[in-house]
Amino acid sequence: MQTLSARIDFTRPDFRLRAHLRLPDSGITAVLGPSGSGKSTLLRLLAGLERPRAGCIRLGEHIWFSRAQAIDRPPSARAIGFMFQHYALFPHLSVAENIGYGLARGRERQRRVAEWIERLELAGLERRRPDALSGGQRQRVALARALAPRPRLLLLDEPFSAVDASLRQSLRLLLQELVSENDTSAILVTHDLEDARQCADRIGVMIAGRVRRLGESAEVLADPGDAEVARVLGWPNTLPVTQWAGDEACGTWGRVRLSRAPARAHEVVALLPDGPRPGAREGLEVEIAQVIEMGAYRALSCRLPDRTPLRLHLPRALPCPARGARTRIAVPPECVIALPARASVRFNHWSPHP
Amino acid sequence: MGFSDADLQAIWLTLRLASLVTVLLLLIGTPIAWWLARTRSAWKGPVGALVALPLVLPPTVLGFYLLLAMGPNGPVGQLTESLGLGLLPFTFWGLVVASVFYSMPFVVQPIQNAIEALGERPLEAAATLRAGPWDRFLTVVVPLARPGFLTAAILGFAHTVGEFGVVLMIGGNIPGETRVVSVQIYDYVEAMDYGQAHWLAASLVIFSFLVLLVLYSLNHRQALR
Repeated sequence: MQTLSARIDFTRPDFRLRAHLRLPDSGITAVLGPSGSGKSTLLRLLAGLERPRAGCIRLGEHIWFSRAQAIDRPPSARAIGFMFQHYALFPHLSVAENIGYGLARGRERQRRVAEWIERLELAGLERRRPDALSGGQRQRVALARALAPRPRLLLLDEPFSAVDASLRQSLRLLLQELVSENDTSAILVTHDLEDARQCADRIGVMIAGRVRRLGESAEVLADPGDAEVARVLGWPNTLPVTQWAGDEACGTWGRVRLSRAPARAHEVVALLPDGPRPGAREGLEVEIAQVIEMGAYRALSCRLPDRTPLRLHLPRALPCPARGARTRIAVPPECVIALPARASVRFNHWSPHP
Repeated sequence: MGFSDADLQAIWLTLRLASLVTVLLLLIGTPIAWWLARTRSAWKGPVGALVALPLVLPPTVLGFYLLLAMGPNGPVGQLTESLGLGLLPFTFWGLVVASVFYSMPFVVQPIQNAIEALGERPLEAAATLRAGPWDRFLTVVVPLARPGFLTAAILGFAHTVGEFGVVLMIGGNIPGETRVVSVQIYDYVEAMDYGQAHWLAASLVIFSFLVLLVLYSLNHRQALR
């Protein structure tokens, strides 16, 4: 098993990244985080495009970087595939030449390029230059180019950020299929939670240069670990707790009940935006500040009695209170979790049996 | 009227000199341009300024110091003598060396600009696709920076053809050895032979115009693509 393990210390004048992680050799790991958190830098460090100040990066037996052993393999010797945010296709080369760039010259190259062109439905575009392709086509060329040399690890930097929502869906599926077909593993840096939800086997969360949470997707999404990570993972509502009464958390904003009392008296409760419903007899008191139509649902910006903002998603089928209305919202206990404000960073490793 | 034998000799010498200097400048200037385009070193400023110096210096000043350096008491002169090559001033090879210095900025700057415009991304992409440094240079830098290399070659060649001050200081006026077209014209004017001077001077004007025309139309076509 070719586990990727990395212990990295990297500094720039305005930024420090310290990461300690271990990943298995299959499936997709999505790395989420606010912009400037160091996600792309982590990817570049793994690829060898940036050099750590200290640490060690290895894939299975192969040491890519080791400060102690004075090893620093260049990107060309790391058996990686890298898909850049804006693809970085070679503008002077055709589609076929771009895909074949990483392959050794010869008849074998022609055959493999033809296979990739067929697999990614690029037939008829072989001789086109990248500037004559659509966004989705460029993306498929970039994926084929990165995968053609059979990398052991595929690194993707915001690969879906430049295409529209309808294409994203099919590209996520394609990525999943390609990663499993080619028997490789992938690290996908994204700021879009949907990317992680839909195609990642594991999720990592980076904040301010640290990997704050890493684990199986379902596990991480259900238990972010702390309030800061929760916000990255789509828990927009975090409320400070001043007092616990058994399974009930109280604060200046009101009180909510959890499905069970937390093991420790955590400082924060996080509320999912999807479960709570307005128009209840009892529950949190809110004032509706804004209603935004989002298509399938309405996004409600509410204010709690102490002016703390609360965001709710209400299905279109349900009656919606008017802007400015005061109402109570019922919060089902399963929509609430208790969290520490900020957990200490532990060594982050993936393990198949948590 | 027409070109005299001496004119033809001067033209042939000039073309030989300019071609040789262009090739040497591309070989020497490319690594310098590469370094200047990509370094973050504090030496970038001083080295860049040194390379650009011939743009602002009177050719006689450059020629004067090159003459001293290549002379019997200069460091270059002592080196060439100890290697058994003799002294360089007033020889064809002396002209070659001087011209390389004199035309350096015209070759380095277009290549440097082209490499800077290229950015890091294509090179990084090539590196992640198993390309070593030499591969990256040949398959990414050269084709993408081609207009820069072309401009550099043409400007280097044309500038060498047009030089005068440095030639006089280093080469003097030896027929077949250092008497290039510009010096030949000067000789005609001094001898009040304006008709003969016209022939050479006008052909130099036409040549320079054609060179620039080719350069601009090539770059224009490249911009349209």
